[in-house]
Amino acid sequence: MAFIQGLFKTSVARKNIMAVTGLFTVFFLIIHLVGNLILIIPDSFFPIEFWSNVANQHDMYNAYSHFLVHFWPISVVAWILYIGLAIHVIDALLITVKNWKAHGEKYVKIDNSTSNWYSRNMGILGTIIGIFIVIHMGQFWLKYKVLGTEHDLYELVVGTFKQTWVLVLYLIGIISLGFHLAHGILSAHRSLGIYPKSIMNVMKYIGLCLAILMAVLYGIIPLIIYFQ
Amino acid sequence: MALNAKEPKGALKDKWRLYNEHKDLVNPANRKKIDVIVVGAGLSGGGASASLAELGYNVKTFFFQDSGRRSHSVAAQGGVNAAKNYQNDGDTIYKMFYDTIKGGDYRSRESNVYRMAQLSVDLIDHMTAQGVPFGREYSGYLSNRSFGGVLVSRTFYARGQTGQQLLMATYQAMMKQVKKGTLTQYNRHEILDFVLVDGKARGVIVRDLVTGKIERHSAHAVVLGTGGFGKIYYLSTLAMNSNVSATWRAHKKGAFFANPSWTQIHPTALPQAGDHQSKLTLMSESLRNDGRIWVPLKKDDDRLPNDIPSEDRDYYLERRYPAFGNLVPRDVASRAAKERMDAGHGVGKLKNAVYLDFRTAIGKLGVATIKERYGNLFTMYKKITGIDAYKEPMKISPAAHFSMGGLWVDYELGTTIPGLYAVGEANFADHGANRLGANSLLQASVDGNFVLPNTISNFLANEIRTGPIPTDTPEFDEVEKAVKDKLEKLLSIKGKTPVDRIHRALGKIMFKEVAMSRNEKGLIWAIKEIKKLRKQFWNDAAIYGEANGMNSELEKAGRLADYLEIAELMAKDALSRNESCGAHYREEFVSEDGEAKRNDKEFMYSAAWEWLGKPDWKLHKEHLEFHDIEVKTRSYK
Amino acid sequence: MKITLKIWRQDGPKSKGKLETFQLNEVEQDMSFLEMLDMLNESLAVKGERSVEFDHDCREGICGQCSLVINGQAHGPESHYTTCQTHMRSFKDGDTIFIEPFRAKAFPVIRDLKVNRDSFDTIIQAGGYISALTGNAPEANNIPIHHNISESAFDSAACIGCGACVATCKNSSAALFVSAKISHLAKLPQGQVERKERIEYMITAHDEEGFGSCTHTGACAMVCPQEVQLLDIARMNYEFNRALCKAT
Repeated sequence: MAFIQGLFKTSVARKNIMAVTGLFTVFFLIIHLVGNLILIIPDSFFPIEFWSNVANQHDMYNAYSHFLVHFWPISVVAWILYIGLAIHVIDALLITVKNWKAHGEKYVKIDNSTSNWYSRNMGILGTIIGIFIVIHMGQFWLKYKVLGTEHDLYELVVGTFKQTWVLVLYLIGIISLGFHLAHGILSAHRSLGIYPKSIMNVMKYIGLCLAILMAVLYGIIPLIIYFQ
Repeated sequence: MALNAKEPKGALKDKWRLYNEHKDLVNPANRKKIDVIVVGAGLSGGGASASLAELGYNVKTFFFQDSGRRSHSVAAQGGVNAAKNYQNDGDTIYKMFYDTIKGGDYRSRESNVYRMAQLSVDLIDHMTAQGVPFGREYSGYLSNRSFGGVLVSRTFYARGQTGQQLLMATYQAMMKQVKKGTLTQYNRHEILDFVLVDGKARGVIVRDLVTGKIERHSAHAVVLGTGGFGKIYYLSTLAMNSNVSATWRAHKKGAFFANPSWTQIHPTALPQAGDHQSKLTLMSESLRNDGRIWVPLKKDDDRLPNDIPSEDRDYYLERRYPAFGNLVPRDVASRAAKERMDAGHGVGKLKNAVYLDFRTAIGKLGVATIKERYGNLFTMYKKITGIDAYKEPMKISPAAHFSMGGLWVDYELGTTIPGLYAVGEANFADHGANRLGANSLLQASVDGNFVLPNTISNFLANEIRTGPIPTDTPEFDEVEKAVKDKLEKLLSIKGKTPVDRIHRALGKIMFKEVAMSRNEKGLIWAIKEIKKLRKQFWNDAAIYGEANGMNSELEKAGRLADYLEIAELMAKDALSRNESCGAHYREEFVSEDGEAKRNDKEFMYSAAWEWLGKPDWKLHKEHLEFHDIEVKTRSYK
Repeated sequence: MKITLKIWRQDGPKSKGKLETFQLNEVEQDMSFLEMLDMLNESLAVKGERSVEFDHDCREGICGQCSLVINGQAHGPESHYTTCQTHMRSFKDGDTIFIEPFRAKAFPVIRDLKVNRDSFDTIIQAGGYISALTGNAPEANNIPIHHNISESAFDSAACIGCGACVATCKNSSAALFVSAKISHLAKLPQGQVERKERIEYMITAHDEEGFGSCTHTGACAMVCPQEVQLLDIARMNYEFNRALCKAT
């Protein structure tokens, strides 16, 4: 057992943890996105027949959020996500500190053309995303779910996104997320040891496409609401 | 002192078996009480270190590089020969023995060469087991290629990096022993001298190249796997730091130096581009399989190679040697190139190259096939010259490459100093007057892995009661003092001529008169010039910095001082041999059609030189007898 | 060509270093980068000054002894070259060239541009070998290996251990170096027996020697003179996870 514990301290194991928690978050992000796309369904789509009580976007969105809050398995997954994100952050800090220590004196002149800037700055991107998440949760999760001061989430969301500073903040957060994923998805697969060339060649594009898709779709929501 | 080669009695093919059956052994429990110093960590030194450590001896390995993996064995490209007969083309151990003796122009010892051919078979097994990714067929079985001077395919290869892959295996075997604690490695350490106690090699004085500290190390036996000294020509295919110092200082302590002048000049290296040049990169001999060598028919033809039509080209190897064509052995190819260049047909800015042209092969096989076969070499060529060899011919030129000569050793690889052994290129044993392609990796590996660990026990069996060798004895004091004095002397010159400049001058003399083609007048001139240069070195070399710290100029100077001595011996050796054989081509001794002419009656011997001090030597002859092979004229026509 | 050099000078591992400026006026395009440094050292020798220490040996790109970070790039401006293969034709007249040693905690500077790469030896000692004792080997053709597997093992085995991957990595990780050896041996049937122990010991040694962990920026593979692939790092991680599963 001591041996296994020892292994978890190794650099590779730590990267494994980053990968697993990261990929789980990506999975969440996809679900989260799908739900929130309700916010940009044009009014002409309503009423939607298969869901009896959905007459408009407002109702549909509130029904969706009501479901999320009251369906218990979702809460379990949510807690896994919170813990996962916390581990992701702590692990990132541990790795970063170790990597700083591993570095000797700084180069006087450095040429970084051999790698992408966002690959090198995952920590900074992650910090921006982290700050964003805190604000984001404070705006919605805290008020709607924890404190219960707000009951109409749709009104809250639309109201919030009408503010310019919120829009700017969200765009920064979402673009950071896009770049974080552009590196992170492929990197996570490498960390987990998926090495066949055929898979990884495809993965490179899947990772990138997914990152762009997420950034664009997430970005479009506040933009549309802001300009509506 | 008479030379005793200690060849075991019995038929040629039984000698090695008989030797092993009758030699003395050291009990496993006693091996830990015995220290062995190995100098060098390449295929021979590293192989010996790893194998001796596996056996349980205490091994200390010294080398000047920062890691054993850098040893110059790493640079060998083409392959390693073995008489496996996987190709079913009729190869046998005898055939390989025959090719090697003939390739060496009947100037090597039968028993040693036969043993090398015998053990070649085991070597491939050993290296494959260590994880060497040799080239393979699609069936999954090992593949072979053909090399110059032979009629079968017996060369095993790992792309163009065979030496690197064999060295990695050897280095990894060493690292394993380091972890086990049986082997201690001393990187960035240079051997400065040897300590003899009661006539036996018992220790070394080394300099830690990082701190400059002079250290004493003792052992029951010392093994030298220090490689060749082609760097004496300054421009060579060797590594910048390759040197003769360890073997030379052993020579000055009493080890005979055999056939020092026999240096292989490789025909396909990149030509010198200017005076600043420090190194000539080798392009594998395998290129001659598909490349055609030519020079312009007209002297000083300044047209671009692709503008010269076929009728104005002289494919001189195909013209002179129709049977082997572009695949004649190295010495023949180099000499033919020199002949053309001397006649004014050289190409390039300095008129010091010939063309190696792939146009015919590309036309016939397509670029893709050529790329698959030689892609890495073409890339390397492009990296160094900036020229795309798929579009225009390569420029190549002969360059100093391999030292067939080295410390004289007997069948056990022991030098004339008891307890001092020499393995690989550092000894003179197996290649005669010319080495065949892909035999150097073989000899180095076989010596280190299979021969020495078996023969050294015959000596060490008598050492089990000796106990540890103390280093606080007058013998060590004396040598250490001499070493320190010499370093002081070098640093006290404080002259004006940079060490490299003197080395370049030495290289020019040597390459002009003691290389591909020699004559009496030139050799006498060379000796005079070498002496002059030696004087200049000791009066005016610019060596500064300190002895107690890292000082690469001091390292270079120490090595050059030795080169300046052995240079004289090389010229003297060449002068004493009034015949042409292999790489040793004396212009006075040629056949009517300009080919080398041996004089078997008077010179069928290896010349082993004994140091007499203040550069002077005495010649000892080891007469060579050939019982199992008919001595013929070597012809590739 | 006129070239201005800004070279890192440092007396020893513990002393402080700084950039020193040199001027060379007669540099030729055909010179290799190291020959240009030879030229500088000759000019220093004549003046009786201490030469600039730099590592080099084979000068044909295979021994891995040469290092140097040139203008911020390990092994200079051309990708997949070693420093010794870099030629002055990659620079222009009047250029200023910064030359610094490979930097990482695990590669302490010995003097000037020479660094200590013993940590690489230590990693190999931990398990980067196949324990086949001399004389024990079976007939080589007893185990056929598919051509492509053998070639792929070669791609990894080609690593020259120069350390450019570490020098260029923002985390000073030796992942590419370790993974090249892991992959080389894991791909071959001969390497199977010690597969599990090898990855465990080598990764542990890698961390203990003070290298950072890989964040897959890919810079290492861009400078690697032997073009060792990033996939090898993924392979190494696979081997690690495989060993983990086998342990439990």
